[in-house]
Amino acid sequence: YCLSGHPTLPCNVLKFKSTTIMLDCGLDTTSVLNFLPLPLVHSPRLSKLPGWISKDGSINLEKELKECAGRVFVDSQPEFCLPERELLDLSTIDVILISNYHCMMALPYITEHTGFTGTVYATEPTLQIGRRELVNFMERVPKAQSATCWKNKEIQRMLPGPLKDAVDVWTWKRCYSMQEVNSALSKVQLVGYSQKVELFGAVQVSPLSSGYSLGSSNWIIQSHHEKVSYVSGSSLLTTHPQPMDQSSLKNSDVLILTGLTQMPTANPDGMLGEFCSNLAMTIRAGGNVLVPCYSSGVIYDLLECLYQFIESANLGTTPFYFISPVANSSLEFSQIFAEWLCHNKQTKVYLPEPPFPHAELIQTNKLKHYPSIHGDFSSEFRQPCVVFTGHPSLRFGDVVHFMELWGKSSLNTVIFTEPDFSYLDALAPYQPLAMKCVYCPIDTRLNFHQVSKLLKEVQPLHVVCPEQYTQPPLTQSHRSDLMLELQPPPMPYKRCSVLNLPFRRRYERVYILPELANSLVPSEVKPGVSVATVSAVLQSKDNKHTLQSVPKAPPVAPSKKRKRVMEEPPVTMAPKPLLSGVVPLEAFLATLQKHGITEVKVEETADGHILHLQAEDTLIQLEEDGTHIVCDNNEPLRATLRDLVLRFLQKL
Amino acid sequence: MDSQCVSILPRVCGVLLVSGSSLPDDTSLEKLLDWFTTIAQTGASLLEACPCLVDFVSKVAFNYASGSSILSFTLKLTGLIGASEDGFKVLKVRLKNLNSPRPGIPFFHPSITHSNVQECSVLKLVFNPHHWQEAGLWEDPCLRIGWIQGLKMILQHSEALCFFAQADLIEPLLQLQTDSSLFVASAANQTLAQVLLLCQSLTSVGHNGSKNKDLEHNSVSVETTQNYSGIITKVSEYLNKSVVLKEISQLSGSQQILRLLAMLLVRVGPPLRDTLLLAVMNSLEELVITSCSQLTVPLMDVILAANSGLRDDSVSKQRLIQLLWFMLNMKKPANVMQAAAAVLHSHQSDPALSAHSARVLLLPLDIVTGVSLLDENSTEELRILITEQLKRKSCISIICVCLSNIPQITLMASDRLPCPQRQIVTAVLMLLRLCCVDSSSSSAGCVEVVRFITGNSKVQKCALEALLVLSKSAGVKMVLVDVFKVLTAYLNSPSSDPSVLQKSYQAVIKWVGVCPDLSCITDQLREGFIQAVRKRACDMRWEARDSTVEFLGHLGQAPSCRSFTEQETEPSDVLLGGRSFTVPLLKKALQDPESYVRASSISALAQTLTPSWQEGTALTQEQEDIVTQVQEILFQDSEGFARRAAVKFFIAWLSACSSPSSCWLLMQSVPTVLSQGVADLDWEVKLHTLELAELLLDQAFPDPSPSHPYAVISDQAHRPPIAGQQSDLLSSLKDLVNWGVVSALLCGVVDCDRPVALKACQLLLKLQGVVCPVMGNAADTRVFCQLAGASVMQQVRKIQAMGKDTYVVSEASSEADKEGIYASADPECVDVCEVLRLLDLDEKLSILTQSSDHIYNSPLSLLQDILTAAAASSQPGWDPRQELIMDCY
Repeated sequence: YCLSGHPTLPCNVLKFKSTTIMLDCGLDTTSVLNFLPLPLVHSPRLSKLPGWISKDGSINLEKELKECAGRVFVDSQPEFCLPERELLDLSTIDVILISNYHCMMALPYITEHTGFTGTVYATEPTLQIGRRELVNFMERVPKAQSATCWKNKEIQRMLPGPLKDAVDVWTWKRCYSMQEVNSALSKVQLVGYSQKVELFGAVQVSPLSSGYSLGSSNWIIQSHHEKVSYVSGSSLLTTHPQPMDQSSLKNSDVLILTGLTQMPTANPDGMLGEFCSNLAMTIRAGGNVLVPCYSSGVIYDLLECLYQFIESANLGTTPFYFISPVANSSLEFSQIFAEWLCHNKQTKVYLPEPPFPHAELIQTNKLKHYPSIHGDFSSEFRQPCVVFTGHPSLRFGDVVHFMELWGKSSLNTVIFTEPDFSYLDALAPYQPLAMKCVYCPIDTRLNFHQVSKLLKEVQPLHVVCPEQYTQPPLTQSHRSDLMLELQPPPMPYKRCSVLNLPFRRRYERVYILPELANSLVPSEVKPGVSVATVSAVLQSKDNKHTLQSVPKAPPVAPSKKRKRVMEEPPVTMAPKPLLSGVVPLEAFLATLQKHGITEVKVEETADGHILHLQAEDTLIQLEEDGTHIVCDNNEPLRATLRDLVLRFLQKL
Repeated sequence: MDSQCVSILPRVCGVLLVSGSSLPDDTSLEKLLDWFTTIAQTGASLLEACPCLVDFVSKVAFNYASGSSILSFTLKLTGLIGASEDGFKVLKVRLKNLNSPRPGIPFFHPSITHSNVQECSVLKLVFNPHHWQEAGLWEDPCLRIGWIQGLKMILQHSEALCFFAQADLIEPLLQLQTDSSLFVASAANQTLAQVLLLCQSLTSVGHNGSKNKDLEHNSVSVETTQNYSGIITKVSEYLNKSVVLKEISQLSGSQQILRLLAMLLVRVGPPLRDTLLLAVMNSLEELVITSCSQLTVPLMDVILAANSGLRDDSVSKQRLIQLLWFMLNMKKPANVMQAAAAVLHSHQSDPALSAHSARVLLLPLDIVTGVSLLDENSTEELRILITEQLKRKSCISIICVCLSNIPQITLMASDRLPCPQRQIVTAVLMLLRLCCVDSSSSSAGCVEVVRFITGNSKVQKCALEALLVLSKSAGVKMVLVDVFKVLTAYLNSPSSDPSVLQKSYQAVIKWVGVCPDLSCITDQLREGFIQAVRKRACDMRWEARDSTVEFLGHLGQAPSCRSFTEQETEPSDVLLGGRSFTVPLLKKALQDPESYVRASSISALAQTLTPSWQEGTALTQEQEDIVTQVQEILFQDSEGFARRAAVKFFIAWLSACSSPSSCWLLMQSVPTVLSQGVADLDWEVKLHTLELAELLLDQAFPDPSPSHPYAVISDQAHRPPIAGQQSDLLSSLKDLVNWGVVSALLCGVVDCDRPVALKACQLLLKLQGVVCPVMGNAADTRVFCQLAGASVMQQVRKIQAMGKDTYVVSEASSEADKEGIYASADPECVDVCEVLRLLDLDEKLSILTQSSDHIYNSPLSLLQDILTAAAASSQPGWDPRQELIMDCY
């Protein structure tokens, strides 16, 4: 079941072996681009924007919709496009597996108010960083008025694009509360890489390092005979996290592939270089640099790269500010999770040295972090400077303030590094803008070239992926290398699709208790193959099947008050022996002759022989899978013949 | 030749005879041979110079115990001796000298009887392969290579060729062509070529010079001509037989024969070439039909070599043309492209062939870009084949072959080109757009190929290279804007490799250089370009920064052009807005952490500032800052590169400056640069500093000779020195001293780096030549120079002491000097003219001209080493495994 249309913010549900597993619950936040930015302080520019009135003047939504540079924005608290909630009953979900902290932003919407009673599994860094991101996210979205009139279908149809084309706007929801976040996170159970978690005895799930961010994981979901791999947000680049575990993905029946790079044409190395040169260029010209970013993830790599670059570009005196409600803990946490880091950084911990160089930047006062622009920051703020702050959508958070502050000067530059939002859409409500804009999206997730190499290596039988990955991007339709080309072709899905995975479930593992196994008498039917009959009771519990000895009939209680026959224990009877073997024709004819049956006409058929005992007017059909004796009204003869046939067969 | 060498050479020969194994190192024999070769090359007779060699050769020829290296050496030496006709005669008549062997040394091989030996000349014996085969030594490749190289050396004159023919050496030589040792086979190959070339040169002399020759000589030449034709027939038969490829294992053999054939066909003339060609033609045709991929290139070389010298109406020519057409219509696209490239490179005169080759080579570009360069029908079948090939990864190499041949295609006459050159430029631009990662342009051509070429820096570089060349083509200026856009896109692209960036910059320079009119560059284009350059100047990769800085320098030197305002202007003004943009960028680059970038930025600044220096405009504050920064680099930079560039900056300034004396900052900087530069640790910095000194020297004493040979020479140049001239000289000399030129030169001449000392010595000689004849010893003409550093002083004194046992430190300076600078009796002061006279500069120059190891590298040293090693090995307890520590080379 696919509940999300966004390939990098997946939310899928897998029903497998009587368990219902949700794989990630990403929140599509691109809907916020339709809203006006929420300034931290009153913005005269935003408040002066004209309201929207339809051309004929019949509809007046001046209070809800504002126009800026030819585009219409909703003037209210931003709303998000939730995963599909009608496709299946969310209360039936047994577990939720989280791959990385980006893919858990919809968690409170799923676990709260839906009747969800299951467990969420995630690694520790994912939980901790995820908690920070959730809180960060929630705190940055202030509670303000909400607008609903524009959602009316009749009105929406009249609006200019892209609002006009937005789908299911009624399902868009406001941000969750702190209480909901806490409640959702209390359902999380921590797991470590390669730790095996049994789900109801039916399947085993286990996280593997995916190399994308601290604690990010892919998941293996397997039963005794089937294996499903879930690959979401993986990276083969040597950045800070532990490298991706590829070998454990081998021999999968189905591989679900999501979270590939959103920027298949942008090489992260090139983009880092681009980022640094644009930054240096602006600072040298006396301008400020604004970097809208999340509070963890790529920023660690950016800071590391800048650490090396600062000296060489003579930027030693330029202040770097990192402003986020969780800036402090984000930088500190990254230093703590040693076991989740790449080998190189792990070894530093034992030296002991901080694994990330940003520690040194902080010590030498080159990098300063603040929870918000209020307080200490305002007194220590020096220009020109570089500011890292959120949110990358430019709709809420401290970044809104800096956009308003620096937007009017062409000396300043805003550098977008997060690939989740179209930078042109993000900038739309700030037009006209004199500030320079540079787009260097850094997405370290797998690109198509790496994926095809990976798939060649792990060789899954079937690949399931979002439909976006099965065709080249719309803007570059000639780039046949920017899509998955596999044999057999991958099974595509889109929002609201339900796919039947191509499993051929044929076997189930059944355990046999030792005492029962002891009582078996195997007989060899052909070399190496022995057969025994089993009489046992099959017990199925937690999807585990066990053969147990038939309980002996308890001694019948000396009671005369037996009222119902049903209470009597079932009479256990020895089962009839099973026959096997082939009746050899020549030998059988000889035996018949010994018993005085001489007139036998043998007819060859497709499956065996028919013996016509002419004198007795009897037919014996000897076939591969059955023997029939057709003998009317002569029971003694039938019995004799039956016994003769039985002589040639083995009994078990 | 050194008489000492002559005197000890016989002893060395003796040593070599007795034990070849005790040589100081295994290159001794090679060096000995090199020495002999040098003697022979100077025109002197080797035998006259070293008469003992013949004796040595004849003795070794029978001494099988000598070891293969000595035998091989002897064979080569025999060749060297026999290379001259006199030496050859000696070897020919000289019979084996039957000196009794030394006791204990097996002198003769048992199978060779006395009588045999006596009848045999040394020459016959040495070059008789049977002799070595019987001795069981022929198996050693070392001996075979000696034999073949000896043979090659001897084959210089008719006598030798006669001997070669009579001794029937052609057979063993042909056998060695396919020798198991690669070196032997290759040498045999060359020797065979040598034989044929000698045959040819002798027969042609025979033909031309026969009138002047006497009868007797003519009869000999008839005989030899017969010999020659026998040799030629044998060689032709051999070539014909071996050209054909019978099985794939003989591939390398075939390749070698084809290479030999190609070499011969280029070097021999008619009628020998016709003979050879006729002999191998059938085999060549057979080989062409088998169309083996690996043989395409050597085969084309042979066909083209054969084709180039033939008359159009000859039968062979027609057959060869047919072969060429066959090669150009093979079924394997890669081979066809190779063949077409070979045709274009050979400058074939057949217009149809070259036009077809150009079409073949342009075909991949046509298919990939969809820009129709060719008439579709002409290459229909090949188009299908190449289109298939382009869908695979191998398309990269095909496209690169296509692009790398574009220079050849552009050389063709325009009426033979399949399309206008402008069309080719359009196609190359299209290809560049397809290769650019950030571009979203799609082509009408082959879609499958895009996945392979996008972002491929190899294709990008080849295409940019082609674009560079195409800038010269006529009528392409119209597309300048497109070129500029594409190049800006490459400079802007984050995925561009530094080498691609460098090529893009080169292309910008090239296109701007050939376009006199840049009026098409709009503000928008310029803004984009400026942004890209600005960004690259801050790139993380130093290579990118370096290329950017270099580009800025080159652009500063580009010739003037016309801007959109129709005014004559500098390209850097049009593209970048002039010096106000470039100079601050370059100034920043002076602080770059990478020394290469710092060095490049200094040179770029020099290039950028040159025009203003030439105009003699007043220095701005910015320029003064730059000079200070460059000086700081010279004083403080830890890297030699940057310091070298800093000295060159001042050289450039001084040479460009219209009147140096009026530029106060330059005159102020020069003394510091000279004193700092000559004391640098890097010898190249010191050398550049001396170049700066030379420049000052030349400016102080301009060369009196006229600038062109017919100019009128003023009378003054020939007149004896007069007072006015003397005072001019005196003031110039004083200037030089004040600038620190003289002390820099005196510092340099005692420098321990030979190139520095040599340069300083040459300059001092120059100074001496100008100054000393004019200046007398009078006290009023004495100029004193202060020497920096005690060690310099000591060294100069030492030289002086060696030249003459007196000191020239001016005791009388107080009375001689009126200016007061040298008022005190300063022991650090020297009289310039006195020093110049006393220093034995000529002797010093001759010492410095010789390489520093000339003593250890001399033949005498080599011979002595051999003797010493032999003496050491004859000592009791000498362990041959123990390496001799010799200060030999």
